[in-house]
Amino acid sequence: MFGCFEAVLSLCGRSESDNYRLRERIREGDSSIWESEDFIMGLSSTATTNEGIQLCIFDLRRGQHEGQELDKILFFFPADLSFSTQLSVIGLSEGLITFTRIFSPDAACEVIEAERHSHVFYQAEPDIWMVMVVEKNKDTEAIWRNDALQRVLKEVHSLFVMFHGSIRALLEKEPGGGVARSHLYSFVMDYLTDFLVAKKLHLPSFRDCLKERGTVQMLTVGREAAIEVQSLVRILESACPGNTACNSLVLFQDLLVSTTLSPDDTVNLFAYAVLRLTPRSLSHGTNSWSYLRKGSTASHVPTGSISDNSGSATEQSYTSHDTSPGRQGQRYHIPRPLQRDKWSKGKDGFLVTETWGAEVGSLIPATPTVWLQQTDERMYLCVFQQKYLTVILLIPVSSIINGEQGISMVKQLVLETASLNIFKVEERLSRGWGGGNAYHVSGYRYLLCDRDRNISRASPPGKVTTLTKDSLLALNKLREEVDVEKSRAKWDDPNHDKDLEICIRARNNAWVIARLTKGKELYMVLEKANETLLYASDAVEKFSNRYCNGTFSLD
Amino acid sequence: MASDSDSLTSTDDFAYQNPKASPPETSQDGLKFLTLNESENVVDGELALNQPVVGEGVNGQLVVEHDRGECELETEEPVAGEGVNGQLVADHDRGEGEPEIEEPVVGEGVNGQLVAEHDRGEGEPEIEEQVVGEGVNGQLVAEHDRGEGEHEIEEPVVGEDVNGQLVAEHARGEGEPEIEEQSSSSGPAAMAAVPEVGEVVREISSSVVVHRVNSELEVDAPSSPSSSGYAGERGSSSDSSASGIEEVNGDDIDEAVIPADHSVDAVSDSPSWVPGKRHINETLVYPCKDKCPNSEHNSLNWFTICRCLGNKDDASISWRKRKKHFFVLSNSGKPIYSRYGDEYKLAGFSATLQAIISFVENGGDQVKFVRAGKHQVVFLVKGPIYLVCISCTEESYEALRGQLELIYGQVAQMILILTKSVNRCFEKNPKYDMTPLLGGTDVVFSSLIHAFSWNPATLLHAYTCLPLAYPTRQAAGAILQDVADSGVLFAILMCRHKVVSLVGAQKASLHPDDMLLLSNFVLSSESFRTSESFSPICLPRYNPMAFLYAYVHYFDVDTYLMLLTTSSDAFYHLKDCRIRIEMVLLKSNVLSEVQRSMLDGGLRVEDLPVDPSPRPGSLSPHLGQDRLTTESPEIFKEACLGIGGPAGLWHFIYRSIYLDQYVSSEFSSPLNNSSQQKRLYRAYQKLYVSMHDKGTGPHKTQFRRDENYVLLCWVTQDFELYAAFDPLADKALAIKTCNRVCQWVRDVENEIFLLGASPFSW
Repeated sequence: MFGCFEAVLSLCGRSESDNYRLRERIREGDSSIWESEDFIMGLSSTATTNEGIQLCIFDLRRGQHEGQELDKILFFFPADLSFSTQLSVIGLSEGLITFTRIFSPDAACEVIEAERHSHVFYQAEPDIWMVMVVEKNKDTEAIWRNDALQRVLKEVHSLFVMFHGSIRALLEKEPGGGVARSHLYSFVMDYLTDFLVAKKLHLPSFRDCLKERGTVQMLTVGREAAIEVQSLVRILESACPGNTACNSLVLFQDLLVSTTLSPDDTVNLFAYAVLRLTPRSLSHGTNSWSYLRKGSTASHVPTGSISDNSGSATEQSYTSHDTSPGRQGQRYHIPRPLQRDKWSKGKDGFLVTETWGAEVGSLIPATPTVWLQQTDERMYLCVFQQKYLTVILLIPVSSIINGEQGISMVKQLVLETASLNIFKVEERLSRGWGGGNAYHVSGYRYLLCDRDRNISRASPPGKVTTLTKDSLLALNKLREEVDVEKSRAKWDDPNHDKDLEICIRARNNAWVIARLTKGKELYMVLEKANETLLYASDAVEKFSNRYCNGTFSLD
Repeated sequence: MASDSDSLTSTDDFAYQNPKASPPETSQDGLKFLTLNESENVVDGELALNQPVVGEGVNGQLVVEHDRGECELETEEPVAGEGVNGQLVADHDRGEGEPEIEEPVVGEGVNGQLVAEHDRGEGEPEIEEQVVGEGVNGQLVAEHDRGEGEHEIEEPVVGEDVNGQLVAEHARGEGEPEIEEQSSSSGPAAMAAVPEVGEVVREISSSVVVHRVNSELEVDAPSSPSSSGYAGERGSSSDSSASGIEEVNGDDIDEAVIPADHSVDAVSDSPSWVPGKRHINETLVYPCKDKCPNSEHNSLNWFTICRCLGNKDDASISWRKRKKHFFVLSNSGKPIYSRYGDEYKLAGFSATLQAIISFVENGGDQVKFVRAGKHQVVFLVKGPIYLVCISCTEESYEALRGQLELIYGQVAQMILILTKSVNRCFEKNPKYDMTPLLGGTDVVFSSLIHAFSWNPATLLHAYTCLPLAYPTRQAAGAILQDVADSGVLFAILMCRHKVVSLVGAQKASLHPDDMLLLSNFVLSSESFRTSESFSPICLPRYNPMAFLYAYVHYFDVDTYLMLLTTSSDAFYHLKDCRIRIEMVLLKSNVLSEVQRSMLDGGLRVEDLPVDPSPRPGSLSPHLGQDRLTTESPEIFKEACLGIGGPAGLWHFIYRSIYLDQYVSSEFSSPLNNSSQQKRLYRAYQKLYVSMHDKGTGPHKTQFRRDENYVLLCWVTQDFELYAAFDPLADKALAIKTCNRVCQWVRDVENEIFLLGASPFSW
């Protein structure tokens, strides 16, 4: 556990010959290191131009002996960084994790803030850490909220676990670490392509301060539509074989209509659906109103080019990787659920992907599976799409005895019993759909979060871009402040929800407001408001009464 | 606790904080004053014995003989360097592991101050010779550091000032009894011995020499049976029944508030605060002693730190649980100051901090802070000095960093670290151990650190005035102005931490931070109270590369005068100035007015005028007008919750930007106890930081409501208002009340602010 830091120190502080000796030791070490090193070396060619960002995943239980430090590293981006640099990043992280535990045994290092870099920590699993290092360059766009960056790490890890199981489990299955590394590599790299704009990673910045990653956006439906959705769900889930428990998710556009999953699983599947399954993500189109994706960048870069660029960049990198004389591809097949443009709509309306490979001896693509956190059960992922309606059906793997054949039967049954309902629901929702700006409230720029249900609603990104940079910076700062207070309150008393109201009149005369009460949060920017505090309070009150059932109203 | 009228000053306040400690035995047997200067002192009347006459050192020749005793052991040559102004800085390296005799170090400084420092020997019996040096400011200061050994013997240190003031400091005898032979100072009980010594001193007149006679006696001296925590901690001479551990419970882990039997009340406004370092025997204990990090080589300390993490030693646990640590270390990882625990025991920890800082530095970056759960580690690098705060208070990075800046300022002020000589010391010898230079100054730091949780000056970078009738302050200002015209750079009359009047020579302006540090230094050092003093100080904001001389004199227990000059031989002149000022102040009753104002206090929220008519108000009865009634019209009666002022107003701070001054209302119900006051202070701190964000600030208005308060902040070009209300206060009424407070402050600004005469106004 501690050897690494020593090694790092020696790499950085000691002579080149020491450095060389370390490498030699690594070479003389067991073959698993050889493999992993080889593997990492193989990836060096895939790096994009991202000096500004480093992302690493490491396991503190590995590489505890001198000379085996590299064994800790499970993922490092960019992969072509020298080992000494990689070890230096991990060594500092590990050193500070250890150091902060002296004083704070329950909560180790969360962030290192330096003059030129921020290091954001996330302990994904016991002793498995993810650290993102972001550079604060002169470019003033590079202003982040640590919590937002941490949520990126959290999201990629949750998605990874959903598809591949925990990293620890992979490491236990294959102690050499090769399996875990190759899975992490393709998954995280695929995930990062979504942040890629013109070969540069654009992480959530202050411009995204009216968004909340890791939450679900809901469609508000009328009573009748709700009843129809309900009956659809009932029919869908009855299509499952026997009396096993199926689950379903219904989305309209990029919004959730219904779920029968636990909140955490809902968040993960919803995030995945918005990333890869919804009609918008299938067609590459990045509508400005859509969820977090591209919201910030949409304002300065033509949206079409983003996905084109990133798509081809990824393709390239993987071609080079795949054709490299690596043994990886042959040894284990790695499904890449986040690979772009791999889902397509089949003739029957179900989405298909080849990324899970095919069943032995057949050409039919294998149906993807996901792990559910709540039930700890593996489920087949069947996705049906009718225009803007996406229906996700999760069928327990254990309930299907005859593999793909069984799945097709379920699909068939769904088509027979539910297609009419699906059609009707889609039609009704389309009729009531208010468009991209449906949730715009004129005069307000807001973000509303329900922490208990992991739900958020926000002003459409297109409207948020009308705010001045000063206002966004002020809100970003305020949110950072609130984040710190919330986490502190959580440490003090996990069951007590922070109650807080902050109204700031910023330098540019905009009102920047944060309200926290009973697990719900409201953030707001009012740029064209009157100068009195009372006016601003009134505006919040009105909003609360009208759109939040009076949650944030005072009486 | 110091001998009141005797000429001998026992600076026990520097060394002893623990009231429970039994005083060390003292005797003067070992003292011998060998060399005398002719007494050239012109001392007037009754002040003769009380007050040092300084300036002697310049012409008085210092002659020192040192007795090496009978020891034939190897001796170490003293390391001495001459400071910028002739101050001798003596640096003894540590003898580790071998018996040794350190030679005395003698040096002469400009003003006859003796500075003597002993480092410690570790591990083995050792004999330390006393060190005598003449330093800058007319005080003899002899400091002993500790030996960490089986049998440790501390030598007596006696110094006589030019005119007979004796000052001896034992750097680290804090509260716990320790083995001390023939010390003439140290601890309350030392007072018994003091008069005797004083006699000796008087006989000898203006000696500048101190001596230790024979060391072998002391070597054989048995440990005091009463030695407990402290002695045990230093070595293995007694069991280490660490006395600090029992105190670790509940809130004591907090900012270490130990009830004091003999707290120096004038040092602090808060009754529960005890000056000086506490819990010295707490530390991060390394069970693997042989492998403990050594600051000599720093790169591999992680390993040991980590390995030692498993240790659940009581002292270590209590040390870790402290809410707020402050560390000062050198860039080579040498500990210089630690708020809790013993610097030397923390050498490994200190090296770890250094490793973090330099590790990030090697990557071409500078670490600002690390956050982990409720904890924050804040780093500040100032040339060769590293400052670190580890806190789980809710204070923000910006606030903690500001506090580190002030601590650095205090370090700079006291030991002139910024002057070239010390920098040169560091350059030549990165392992240079600065701790002895700061010996005995723990109390100054702990007083400053305490101020971080109650004194708005540390936050607002502004000073506050004692409320006084305008003519009274004018009278004080006039005489100070007179003095300033005669070559005094700054003349400051203060009452505790509040300014009565302040005058600067032309074009010289004093930064509020400098004033804060200066008054903290003066208020926390007991020796200033007992006699007039002349001391070199650095005002880091005024000029970090130079230092000034401060003449300090207390008129009464709270009120003191500080005259700052650039001239090292201005003592007599400043003394004359002070006598003139004193006469005028007495004649015009300023001093008694000051006393009355102290008793009456300042603005009270209950007295907030309900009628915002622009009449020239007066703030309290002693200023000649009746206290304004609290009769409220209906609207306030409804809103008033029975406590505090109208509309639930509990407290406010008003800062005038042009004047660099603030006024803070008195604490009243429900902010009755110090923890409530500290909480409010922290809330203000959060508000201040939020309003003054570097990137987006300053904001104009902020309203903040949480479980504890409604806080309102209003920043304009002219002033900043911070007000705290009942958490249920009505927004509209609170806003009205804030307007009223501003009006009120403007109405009485003649009395609560220093106007016109301020050096900041031009």
